[in-house]
Amino acid sequence: MTFQIRDIEKSFGDTEVLKGVSLDIAPGEFVALLGPSGSGKTTLLNIIAGLLFPEKGTLHFDGEDVTLTPAGKRRFGMVFQSYALFRHMTVEQNIAFGLRVMDRGSRPSKGEIADRVSELLEMIELPRLGDRYPAQLSGGQRQRVAMARALAINPRLLLMDEPFSALDAQVRVSLRNSVRELQQKVGVSAILVTHDQAEAFSLADRIAVMDQGRIVEYDRPENLKQFGQEVPQPRQLMGAA
Amino acid sequence: MVRKLLIGLAVFFVGFVVLLPVISIFNRAFADGLGAYWTAVSDPETVFAIRLTIITALIVLPINVVFGIAAAWALARFEFPGRRALLVIIESPFAVSPVVAGLCFLLIYGAYGPVGGVLANYNIQLMFNLTGIVLVSAFITCPFVVREVMPVLMVTGRDEEKAALTLGASGFQMFRLIVLPNISWGLAYGVILSAARAMGEFGAVSVVSGTIRGQTMTLPLQIELLYNNYNATGAFAAATLLTGLALLTLAMRAVVTYFGPRKEAHA
Repeated sequence: MTFQIRDIEKSFGDTEVLKGVSLDIAPGEFVALLGPSGSGKTTLLNIIAGLLFPEKGTLHFDGEDVTLTPAGKRRFGMVFQSYALFRHMTVEQNIAFGLRVMDRGSRPSKGEIADRVSELLEMIELPRLGDRYPAQLSGGQRQRVAMARALAINPRLLLMDEPFSALDAQVRVSLRNSVRELQQKVGVSAILVTHDQAEAFSLADRIAVMDQGRIVEYDRPENLKQFGQEVPQPRQLMGAA
Repeated sequence: MVRKLLIGLAVFFVGFVVLLPVISIFNRAFADGLGAYWTAVSDPETVFAIRLTIITALIVLPINVVFGIAAAWALARFEFPGRRALLVIIESPFAVSPVVAGLCFLLIYGAYGPVGGVLANYNIQLMFNLTGIVLVSAFITCPFVVREVMPVLMVTGRDEEKAALTLGASGFQMFRLIVLPNISWGLAYGVILSAARAMGEFGAVSVVSGTIRGQTMTLPLQIELLYNNYNATGAFAAATLLTGLALLTLAMRAVVTYFGPRKEAHA
């Protein structure tokens, strides 16, 4: 159950966004991609999700080459920065979406879907909000619904793109803990993209520090060399070099 | 004071330029009594014109919806060479006079034109029949759906579409379950505007239809014919029908605006 990223390269026009990125993620591990904007972390996440494809390099999940697998076939749950909830659907319909669009052969029955949805609503502690629309929820509630929707498909990997950035500080801290709890309860590996050092340090098992299209460090938080000093401004690392 | 003056001016303007003409149409149509009105409206040629107008709209609208959505999608979601040119081409019916557009069609697709001439050898005639009317109506109305749908696509949904894809939706499922509900109001609006224009178009249609009585007379052409033949009651009676269609369109537009853009959009 390991996920291997090897030598990923990606350019947009003349701009090299990723210059050979490699990363290994162990089963159940929570990895944070930490870096300033423009460091390529969101591009890397989109490549992992299958929403973008690299020019070079490979992605292997459990030995299976998924580099060119379309997003929908990867079964990687993704939580977007904007949450990207379907605004015309209720919370229940949002969470059930990934199950509803399955092929007839593998799709659970209506009753099974309903059970799964209420189980997930229970898990994100919003059991009575199933028939609300996204606009009727607070930011924190939307974030949790987005999480439940991604978990509904039993993802093999959970991807999160700055999932707390739109929330105020208080909600952010309490949600951080519940996201970590959820991830551990489900036992899924997770990749979190963030530019917030404190967030990365409080959540992740390992942190990959990114700058200008490369991973400059990848280690457990307590082992990071620049811990507490230069990590907040990784840009300076390159400036000094 | 200035404020009152401006409001008064606006009311005066709307009254004289918009309301009064509409009222006068109905007034003149019923001037000879209900019986005369009914006789005029149920005249076979007028009934035929109504039918032709509606048939034309029913053929043109689905074409506009399908190609309009496709074009709006391409323009809103992709950067490609010729994108700007495509937008200009789609909007050209707004800029070109309908009569000129009709003449262009006649020049190319008429029996002596480069395309029409070749087809004429196979006994295929494009102008002076329903085909010609449909072609030119489709041209005249092609910007409406694109114009209404494209801005909606530009501001909404990209992340939602990506989310649907990561959740396993196929391209078609994504379109049907996510894109279509998001653009539905814009699309409805575009269809209503297209319908109004398709039914009311005079200039372009009059050029390519050849105005053959009982064959290619749409409602606007029929009204002009009746009026030129000093059949004022007939002309105005037919005009009430066209006005009725226009008012119906306006009412539908109001309904769409009222129920329109969902209140549960993201904050």
